[in-house]
Amino acid sequence: MRVGQKIFLSSAFNVALIVLIGFFAIQNLNLMLTKLRFVEIADDLNASFLEMRLSEKNYFLYSDESALFDIKDKIDKTMESIDAVSPDISRAIGEENLKLLKTYLAKYSEAVEALRRAGRTEQMQTALRTEGKKLKEFSETITVLERKRVNDIITSSKKVLFYSFWAILFSAIVVSHFISQRILKSLRKIESLAQSISEGNFRKMEVVRSGDEFGSLMKAINRMSEELSHREEQILQSKKLASLGILTAGVAHELTNPLNNISMIAQTYADVYDKLSREDRIEFMNKIEGETERIKEIIRNLLDFSKPKEANLKEADINSVIKRTITLVQNMLDISNIDTRLNLADALPHVFVDEHQIQQVLVNLITNAVQAMSSGGKLFISSRPGRDVSSVKVTVMDSGKGISPEFLPHIFDPFFSTKGEGGTGLGLSVSYGIIKNHGGDIRVDSKPGVGTTFTIELPIYKETGGGEEG
Amino acid sequence: MSSYRIMVIDDEKIVGDMAKLSLEQEGYSVETFLNAEPALSRLKEEKFDVVVTDLKMKGIDGMEVLRTVKKLYPDTKVIMITAFANLDAAIAALRAEVHDFFPKPVKIKELKESINRALSKA
Repeated sequence: MRVGQKIFLSSAFNVALIVLIGFFAIQNLNLMLTKLRFVEIADDLNASFLEMRLSEKNYFLYSDESALFDIKDKIDKTMESIDAVSPDISRAIGEENLKLLKTYLAKYSEAVEALRRAGRTEQMQTALRTEGKKLKEFSETITVLERKRVNDIITSSKKVLFYSFWAILFSAIVVSHFISQRILKSLRKIESLAQSISEGNFRKMEVVRSGDEFGSLMKAINRMSEELSHREEQILQSKKLASLGILTAGVAHELTNPLNNISMIAQTYADVYDKLSREDRIEFMNKIEGETERIKEIIRNLLDFSKPKEANLKEADINSVIKRTITLVQNMLDISNIDTRLNLADALPHVFVDEHQIQQVLVNLITNAVQAMSSGGKLFISSRPGRDVSSVKVTVMDSGKGISPEFLPHIFDPFFSTKGEGGTGLGLSVSYGIIKNHGGDIRVDSKPGVGTTFTIELPIYKETGGGEEG
Repeated sequence: MSSYRIMVIDDEKIVGDMAKLSLEQEGYSVETFLNAEPALSRLKEEKFDVVVTDLKMKGIDGMEVLRTVKKLYPDTKVIMITAFANLDAAIAALRAEVHDFFPKPVKIKELKESINRALSKA
């Protein structure tokens, strides 16, 4: 089900609950009003009945015959008023009780009539008293009962409203919590994928629920990841071609001078052959030999670069490697008056490296840092656990002039150098190759005028067969 | 015949040595330099008829040599040789009135012909 539908359904459920409770409350209120209306009528009736009984008392106490007329008169008036509001009464106490009430009143009326016609007899007087008492008692009983019912209705309404308040609150909280938990779960998944994409790891995630918006979002992100991975391959390919171009140009230039020298020696040799002594001729050939040595050296360097030596990976403590490297470059650091600070984490897992090659990388980075700084610069070298537990991170941070943003993407390219005559443009390129060959990663951050930070991540040593091969 | 004075500037020692041997064969008087500073000092002392210079050198480069020579001796010919043969450099040199422009490897026969041409024009 889509998330929107879920939210709509849960809201609809709550609205239905509220409407139901509202309907119930209105029902109760109406019933209560009916009952109250009856209680009001009953109070009036009770007052009338009280007056009748008072007249009855007058009749008995003072033998006031006219009291009987008063009673009769009141009975008739009461009967009229009962008839006038009979729908209200019957709604409140039911048709049955209304009839009973009327019957009691009629009987009382008959008793009065009989007494009037037959005159005072003991039997008639008793009948009058009995009927009057019955009428009054019946009326009072019903009134008390109805009052109690009103109270009951109020109590039950209170209870229902109280419980339904908690029910709605509970449903709102539980349902929204449930929905938000599922949303958050999906978001966390997407977040972790985005994180790994930003780190250059174009994996895909498992789409758990394909029905809702998050399912489509996950699919879209998976497509994006796939597309990015594809694009990266293309970029890598074109970068390789560009590097090849730079490499070729660099090699061509390096080779031109010795080739020109050999060519000029040969031409001159032919030109001045007759005038040359035997020693001179041997000297010429030695010069050619020297130039071919020069070409051989260029080609050897090139091969070293293009095919790095097989790494001889061994378990090692990275902090010891760093410390040993520092002893190698201590003299250079002292001469350049560099304030070097080590911040090495304790108890780091061992790494799986070719110590000699890692030292070569660190020497390259430290040399670059020193060259980027003027005397008195600061160099920070630190080690700490990597982002995931399977790697160790080493950073080399300088307070040098930094690298301008347009050069940053090229600094690992072969023959790319910002040092002018001083650099071959191979140091970082070779370092990059070594770290990749270790299955690690090397990154650079730089701010012109603030400094440059190189970060190396190396895989840790695992008992079973060691680290990955790049 | 009075021998013409030729200066060769190149940071590759062999270029100067070989040029000197070949050009002296032709009867020219040749002086070689490994970089531009001492060469320009020498030029201020004495005029040379032809200056052969490498384009890309540490410190003062071939273009600078060309401009300085043209300022000191407008009729001295300058021949540029370079391992970086590219059109932009050639055009820049041409505008600064270079006499000839050779990419390495240099053909000595062509260099001699170019020098002869330069001297016959002068």
